[in-house]
Amino acid sequence: MADEEQLSAVIVDDHPAVLAGVAHWLSSGTPPIRVVTSGNDVRVAWLGEGAQADVVILDLHLGGPTPAVGDLRRLVQAGRRVVVYSMRADDVIALQCLELGALSYLTKAEGAEHLLQATRAAAAGQAYTAPSLAGALAGDRSAHRPVLSVRETEVLIQWFQSQSKEFVAQRLGISLSTVNSHLEHIRVKYAMRGRAAPTKAALVARAIQDGFVQLDDL
Amino acid sequence: MTESRAPRDHVHPTMRIALLCVVSVVQFGLCVRPLVEYAYQPRWVAVAAFTVLALVTATCGVWVVRRMPIPAAVVVIGTVATLAASAGATHVLPPGGHFGTPDWSFGLVGWHLLLLLLERVPVLLTALAVHLTASLGQFLLAGVPDRAEIGAAGIVAFGTASIQLAVVPLSRMLHRRSRQAMSVTAERDRLITRVMSAEQWEREQRTVFAGQLGVTLPLLADLADGVLDPRDDDTRRRCCLAATQLRRLFAENDEVPDPLVHEVTACADEAERRGVEVSLAVSGAAVAVPSDVRRELTSPVVATLAAARSYARVSVLRTHEDVRVAVMADVGTNVVTATSPLVEIDCDTYGECVRMEARWRTRNS
Repeated sequence: MADEEQLSAVIVDDHPAVLAGVAHWLSSGTPPIRVVTSGNDVRVAWLGEGAQADVVILDLHLGGPTPAVGDLRRLVQAGRRVVVYSMRADDVIALQCLELGALSYLTKAEGAEHLLQATRAAAAGQAYTAPSLAGALAGDRSAHRPVLSVRETEVLIQWFQSQSKEFVAQRLGISLSTVNSHLEHIRVKYAMRGRAAPTKAALVARAIQDGFVQLDDL
Repeated sequence: MTESRAPRDHVHPTMRIALLCVVSVVQFGLCVRPLVEYAYQPRWVAVAAFTVLALVTATCGVWVVRRMPIPAAVVVIGTVATLAASAGATHVLPPGGHFGTPDWSFGLVGWHLLLLLLERVPVLLTALAVHLTASLGQFLLAGVPDRAEIGAAGIVAFGTASIQLAVVPLSRMLHRRSRQAMSVTAERDRLITRVMSAEQWEREQRTVFAGQLGVTLPLLADLADGVLDPRDDDTRRRCCLAATQLRRLFAENDEVPDPLVHEVTACADEAERRGVEVSLAVSGAAVAVPSDVRRELTSPVVATLAAARSYARVSVLRTHEDVRVAVMADVGTNVVTATSPLVEIDCDTYGECVRMEARWRTRNS
């Protein structure tokens, strides 16, 4: 983790107001996150300072009707840590982004706090599951979805419904860190299926180090 | 396909019954007399031909009177027998009898062929042509006719053949008209059915509305009578509840792809109009939820949103085993919801915040 140094991010979004707002949120957070560059084209994440940023905050709908899934795949394959920040709450696209290796999927209805947490987690190579993404995971009915325990499912659902981890912990009678570790475990389960990506491999490796996952599970 | 076949089945049997009558009348009303009066050499051939034709008529009658199509085998045998009888009867005509009064079989055979082959027009035309050619051939072989004989024969042959051939376009036209009439009738029936079902739907809607206006009507009556004070908080809360219930009720009948979300959105919209900050989240692919279950699922949302003060979080989640509609809101008072046999309702209070969840299991496991 880059604790000593200030974290840096690059923002790709086609709305100037969103760019300015996100830049403001990041720079006014505690600790602040430095926005090295931003723009309405994904090239800013590949060139100059943008190529060195810790986290890429990517809007999936860059001007066109089709989501920029190809750009996301190329960034992730290059080992970049991507937080997808989308206008739409679309479960299918959210799950597809996780499948490709994005560390977070946030909808723009989810405010500054979730974006800051997701960006910090991504800078450390960790996944962040926002409530909308928790809903998408809980509602996942695809045939190849990973098997979640009853408690994990309940954590996802309560988090989706309440948007408050304190509430989830209180309701389920567990500690806040247990809520987080459940969410992390779920993301590791998702990272272990489907296409390989450097970010997903790092997530799984970390989970093994932390003892979340046994080698037998793989 | 069945619709276009029905009128055909209707026209041809009727035509065949008419032809059966024509054949019977012509054979027994007009042909018996020449058969008795003229000297056929030998007579038994003429009698046998008459009998064969009578048998063909009787056999066809078995199917025709029951309005059934004549089987193909019967048609083939009947046609061959008819043509053979025609040839036999024509062969034994007295000299100079061709196409004249003694030639009883010429016209009759044409009617037989029509009766047998009404639905098989190409075969019918071929058979009639064979019949006419054979008759003409026999006429010419019987001796060189003079001009008057040729003229008379031509008139008879032409007259008979054209009357019989006219039956073919006649039956086709009838068939076409009948099919048009049938399709018009079917269209009218469809319209009547749609009108009736629309009327029934409207009646049902009135009943449903009347049943669900229960909270609204006494409230309006009390407000009108001055029993309730509109400034009173409790009255306002009851108005909010009634308004939210009505909004949900109106949304219930809209034609939308996802009715559950549509109804929940309507409730959220009503709360937003009051200034409540509502965050609505929907996850999981839409599943079909029966309207009575939808009513039960949304009723906690209606009650909680109507009581919400400043914010509410509403969520709809469809997983592989259940549908969950949850709402969290800061409410001032206790929210009361009826328990339901269809859905599980779960209610908790955390300080000012109330969490209400209705859950419907899509799989009864």
